[in-house]
Amino acid sequence: MVNERIKLLIDGSSVVLFMKGDRLFPQCGFSGKAIQILEACGAEFDTVNTLLDEEIRQGIKEFSSWPTIPQLYVNGEFVGGSDIMMDLYESGELHQILS
Amino acid sequence: MMEIETVRRLIAGGLEQSEVQVQGDGRHFEAVIISPVFEGKSLVQRHQMVYALVKKEMESDLLHALSMKTFTPEQWAAQGN
Repeated sequence: MVNERIKLLIDGSSVVLFMKGDRLFPQCGFSGKAIQILEACGAEFDTVNTLLDEEIRQGIKEFSSWPTIPQLYVNGEFVGGSDIMMDLYESGELHQILS
Repeated sequence: MMEIETVRRLIAGGLEQSEVQVQGDGRHFEAVIISPVFEGKSLVQRHQMVYALVKKEMESDLLHALSMKTFTPEQWAAQGN
């Protein structure tokens, strides 16, 4: 069941970004922005390339009740997409959340 | 393809006392949304409220991306507007 797979991914990593592409080669501007923000925070993080797994790509949208990708999870909690990440980064809150 | 005005009306129509500014190219849109209903809501909750208003359009990929900045009227005023 896809929800179990998603739970494993979310619980298996303190910071995980569901994205299009991967860290080296983001495949969309919003995913690229999310990577830049995480790197600017100096955070350690894992990524899941939703382009490689259609089940996860659809499943994560239902799991989070969030219609778009990228999606950031920190310590098992959904933080938001690239807009929210930028907002939190600019306010300094993202550094706190990631530490 | 969607019209800017259509996106604006979908959002404004679903949020009480809201002011909505939209820019976009037909598939990727950016919206600034000011409404008292955002009071006390987290960023995730605010965005989910707006996404719910354009759910059909996003599912059919008519609306491919929607960037949002959300404010309560107080937050908007505090920005110097």
